[in-house]
Amino acid sequence: MAARSVIKYLRPKTVVPQIHRCASALSAFEIQHKTPTIKKVMPIPKAHYGGRHTVTLLPGAGIGPELMNYVKEVSKYFRVPVDFEDVEIDPNANDNVDLDYAITSIRRNGVALKGNIETRSTEAGVLSRNVALRNELDLYVNVLHCVSYPGVNSRHKNIDIVIVRQNTEGEYAMLEHESVKGVVESMKVITSVNSERVARYAFEYAKRNGRKKVTTVHKANIMKLSDGLFLEISRRVAKDYPDITHNNMIIDNTCMQLVSNPHQFDIILTTNLYGAIVSNVVCGLLGGAGLLAGKNFGDHYTIFEPGTRNTGTGIAGKNIANPIAMLNAAVDMLRHLGHKHHASLIQNAINKTINQGVHTRDLGGQATSREVVDTIMKHIKTASD
Amino acid sequence: MALLTRNICKVFSQVIIKYNLQTAQIGAVRSLHVGTTVEQEGKVKCTLIPGDGVGPELVVSVQNVFKAANVPVDFEPYFLSEVNPTLSAPLEQVSNSIARNRVCLKGILATPDHSSTGELQTLNMKLRKSLDLYSNVVHVKSLPGVTCRHKNVDCVIIREQTEGEYSALEHESVKGVVECLKIVTATKSQRIAKFAFDYAVKHNRKKVTCVHKANIMKLGDGLFLKSCQEIAKMYPRITFETMIVDNCTMQMVSNPHQFDVMVLPNLYGNILDNLASGLVGGAGVVAGASYSPECVVFEPGARHTYSEAVGKNVANPTAMLLCAVKLLHHVNLKRYSEQIRDALNRVLNDGKVLTKDLGGQSSTTEFTTAVIHCLR
Repeated sequence: MAARSVIKYLRPKTVVPQIHRCASALSAFEIQHKTPTIKKVMPIPKAHYGGRHTVTLLPGAGIGPELMNYVKEVSKYFRVPVDFEDVEIDPNANDNVDLDYAITSIRRNGVALKGNIETRSTEAGVLSRNVALRNELDLYVNVLHCVSYPGVNSRHKNIDIVIVRQNTEGEYAMLEHESVKGVVESMKVITSVNSERVARYAFEYAKRNGRKKVTTVHKANIMKLSDGLFLEISRRVAKDYPDITHNNMIIDNTCMQLVSNPHQFDIILTTNLYGAIVSNVVCGLLGGAGLLAGKNFGDHYTIFEPGTRNTGTGIAGKNIANPIAMLNAAVDMLRHLGHKHHASLIQNAINKTINQGVHTRDLGGQATSREVVDTIMKHIKTASD
Repeated sequence: MALLTRNICKVFSQVIIKYNLQTAQIGAVRSLHVGTTVEQEGKVKCTLIPGDGVGPELVVSVQNVFKAANVPVDFEPYFLSEVNPTLSAPLEQVSNSIARNRVCLKGILATPDHSSTGELQTLNMKLRKSLDLYSNVVHVKSLPGVTCRHKNVDCVIIREQTEGEYSALEHESVKGVVECLKIVTATKSQRIAKFAFDYAVKHNRKKVTCVHKANIMKLGDGLFLKSCQEIAKMYPRITFETMIVDNCTMQMVSNPHQFDVMVLPNLYGNILDNLASGLVGGAGVVAGASYSPECVVFEPGARHTYSEAVGKNVANPTAMLLCAVKLLHHVNLKRYSEQIRDALNRVLNDGKVLTKDLGGQSSTTEFTTAVIHCLR
């Protein structure tokens, strides 16, 4: 909810009415650099009729589809006023037809729930679908709220860190080439526009949620220009928020500090790759990939997904995957759509289930995915009666 | 004595209801462990507007069926009427109730041809305006056992109902010359077009037809057409067609099977709703719904009050029951929704108990009782 109002606040005021072109005609390079209109889309109404929302569902690969089934089951059981539009993306396809359709579908609905999508094709023209989705929809910020569950046995207790990550550029710019045989160059792109947007988001989030400190994580001692720019801009934005402490930390040190004393962190603001690393470290501290849910925000669209972007192909179909992360993502989605009552009820049921000790194998428990979901539904039932 | 018996009856009925609830809950928990999905119990609140004409009789029919099927819906009834202003509840109160409950079941409100106060907006239009019920959906579907000229008709007519010819902007500039303004805006046209396409996606339909008269009203209907075309680009997997309204009416009566989802401006939608309803059995058998982003009002598809039949117990409650079925589906009470739909289909299929409009001899109450007997 707060996150949504932050986005609203940051949204540019002028909007050029124009239906956006499809992605397939453009290369990754063009998406990144030649589409300044991405931010300016026609404000079409979202799919919200008679109190029911339509949400695009991208099950993705590995454990995605089974987790999505649990989400559907819980929402059906609990009469959540949300309809899902399933969009399958064929991981073996050598073109981007399915991807384009998924993007169009998110444009129509405004909100998506997504598993991790696999890209098996190695053709140069086929983008990493996850990255393409984020770039094309201009989801410039990824927010991961890491809170420990008292019931999960982890090395550190009472962690409460928000990781705000730049989501569309940096090392993920997908600009690589072999200039001379045996020499590959990969470009890391940092722009002041995107850095400012994400920094402002972080500080605005801090202000609205009563947070005290923002830590910019970077490697500006080595990459003096690129990470230097990111750091400089976050310093500049920090000046507008005198109530919030701002400090910075180098990525390698951050990782060490995170595992030894994570309580010193409040909000972590960082670039794309470092964000990926830091969020995986924190998730590992809290109990692994199966617990937390992340949010991707742009000016117009929102995608909810499990916090760490793992496919989990190895445990697919074995009924042992942890359904909590995807359910948490669904809860975030419901809160974003304004169904607060449903969101908090499911959230409470999830918390109770975990703190009661019904854990899947990744948390050291014996329960199957099915059992976890059944326990959650039982808690929802007792709470709503 | 009478008081005593009533109280005893009340106690008995409560005990029965409690018992039923308990068994339902036990059933729910048990099947939870088996792993099938069960719907959760709990009451749904719904505003009820009986409307004019035979509306109140039809609403009683729905309430009886709901009671017999033990449907967990609480009605919040309001009498709203334009032709009976002294008895009518204030509009504000009614629209607040709908906004709160988010669902409403509504009969048809009679609209007089003249205005007693000089006001141009009708009560229906005011209700729609106040709740922003911009989209009217009428699902025209042949019913089993109802013989008509065409079989297996199945199309959805989606109508913009807050602007166009219904903007209530009329004036007499010079004596004998009346101007009536038809308003078309891009925002509302895009909104209704998007609604139609989203409806098609959600219900797995393949085609959307935009009906217009842009060859004559090049600017007004032209804008509507253009907006539809723009939105259609976002739905590459749905066929998009356009048709001129006069041709559309002809096609509708000669070959209605070519239509899937249709999207129309206000007045054309009204005409086509009635035309298509006529194809499948008349005003008594077609259900509709009006949507706003936040709430939905279910009402019969073809808007006739049938005031000549008031008190005669001959009106067909099928349309109202179908509305109720759709309402239950909307609030995720799918089990009850299917149960009532099945019962209704069985009664129509048997053809023994039909009201006059479908060629039978039975009364409204007899039809309702037949539906209740068929509930399983």
